[in-house]
Amino acid sequence: MSTSTSKIASQREELAEINSASSSRGWYQWLLIGVSVLFAVVSISFVGSIIIYSIPAWAHPGTLLTGKGWQSPTGPFGGFAMIIGTFETSLIALVVAGIVGLGTSLSIVFLVPGKFRNIIATLVELLAAIPSIVYGLWGFLVLAPWMLKTFDPFVNKFPFASTIFGSPGQQFGPSLMLASIVLSVMILPTFVAISREVISAVPSEIIEASYSLGATRWQVIKDVVLPTAKIGLFGATFLALARATGETVAVALVAGGVANAQFHLLYPGTSIAAWIATQFGEAQGTEVSALMALGVLLMLINFSLSLISRSLVNRQRKVLARV
Amino acid sequence: MEKIMSDATSAVNVGSESVKTQNQIAMSLKDVAVSFNGKVAVRDATFDVTKNKVTSLIGPSGSGKTTLLRGLNRLHDLTPGAKVTGQILLEGTDIYRGDITVTELRTRVGMVFQRPNPFPTMSIYDNVVSGLRFNGIKKKSILDEVAEKSLRDAALWESVESRLKVSAGNLSGGEQQRLCIARALALDPEVLLMDEPTSALDPIATLRIEELMVTLKERVTIIIVTHNMQQAARISDDCAFLLMGEDRAGELIEFDATEKIFNNPKDSRTLDYTLGRFG
Repeated sequence: MSTSTSKIASQREELAEINSASSSRGWYQWLLIGVSVLFAVVSISFVGSIIIYSIPAWAHPGTLLTGKGWQSPTGPFGGFAMIIGTFETSLIALVVAGIVGLGTSLSIVFLVPGKFRNIIATLVELLAAIPSIVYGLWGFLVLAPWMLKTFDPFVNKFPFASTIFGSPGQQFGPSLMLASIVLSVMILPTFVAISREVISAVPSEIIEASYSLGATRWQVIKDVVLPTAKIGLFGATFLALARATGETVAVALVAGGVANAQFHLLYPGTSIAAWIATQFGEAQGTEVSALMALGVLLMLINFSLSLISRSLVNRQRKVLARV
Repeated sequence: MEKIMSDATSAVNVGSESVKTQNQIAMSLKDVAVSFNGKVAVRDATFDVTKNKVTSLIGPSGSGKTTLLRGLNRLHDLTPGAKVTGQILLEGTDIYRGDITVTELRTRVGMVFQRPNPFPTMSIYDNVVSGLRFNGIKKKSILDEVAEKSLRDAALWESVESRLKVSAGNLSGGEQQRLCIARALALDPEVLLMDEPTSALDPIATLRIEELMVTLKERVTIIIVTHNMQQAARISDDCAFLLMGEDRAGELIEFDATEKIFNNPKDSRTLDYTLGRFG
């Protein structure tokens, strides 16, 4: 009895020693703490300085967010055309990439035999490795002429085409639609990577359960896999959207670069990111802070989209944890 | 005394064996073997599964019990490289080559898995009727009726009656497994395959599932994989003993009435296993 008590006492002492050793930190711990503090300071001052630069432009928030003209160099500086352009191009790109990407992910996981599965997956991932500028060049040199020659005459045949695409006479190769198409290819790998992961994470137990109840492969996908993966797929959507809203160089090349506050998809337009990139070089004074303000706005949009995406992916994990 | 009793029962079993007619057999296996990419996982399975009885597949890990069971509803079709040879007859129809589609087969041969696997995004009700919906039955009155009957048969109705629209994830493990049984029963299968259905459950939930199996066999033939020998002895009527051979492929060692397998087996390895000398 007494020996066991003394044993416990000696163990306690050892523990206390370990604790005191860890409280007197070694140099490497101070180094790590220092680096993280530095990182925090840099991030905060980065965000802070952008906000400070943008303050003069926020004197007219109404103009900045809803104003339709951008008069360089004196102002007013209206950001409506860029904001609308950003949402139009990103959402159309998302719809296209979502449909194509979901089909790709489902094929990779369920339809394609093992050998080809990796080939397709690798090809899609390689799309992410192509630099933005190359996409931009491809869009400008290859897709834009094709749009003018084939795509525009085709869509103009439909009734009400002019309300969506604009009047044929003013249509132009580089346009919001072209930017959307280029963007959709660019965000495809992001969407496929995440959605494929989410779909593969659906437990094989419940897939087998559905087959064992006489479900066909299509029913398994439609009634079991997609509903189970739904939240994670929305997460993939928001991440792809964040990628699309932030894309700069390619959009700057193919959107037309006109601050034209309109909704017609075949007219030239621009996005927040593309507009900042193309205007920054010659901007002065208030125009700089107006561009900075648009930058802050874009940062907020991207930040929220990423947060939403992350929380959705976490919720998906919880859904799967219940299985 | 007990020994004499069991001997007498098995004598009756042997007696009934000889007069067993074709329509008392639910499934008949002949030289069934399953291989993956040419590597044999289980072979030599030849036995008849009698209607309205519980047939257990026992044996140590790696003896191919589950692999064999999954051949009976063609679940191996989902695994590339898997091949099932030999003959498996369901009511006289070859399930791999005969005039039966794989989806029809799976509605006639239901399955309950090792871990409870209700569909996490569906309610209790939707889980139970999912099999009917997969097979094109949409009429609400039929779905309602079958849902209640299946849940009653699975001894779950009383505890979930008031919360049918609640997610199945909210049930306890034992309740989830009974929900999975109800889900399989909803299709009114002739045979129910159960792959170690109680291995993830606590002793009380296990007992309830075992009691359920004994009642269920009146309406459905049950084939159960278990590595719990007491369970096999308690609930099964017939028993197949499998063992891993020298080439690491499982094979059927002996098939007989459960009483015989446990008290008077033909093969000494069966006796060693049931006495707990290995495995």
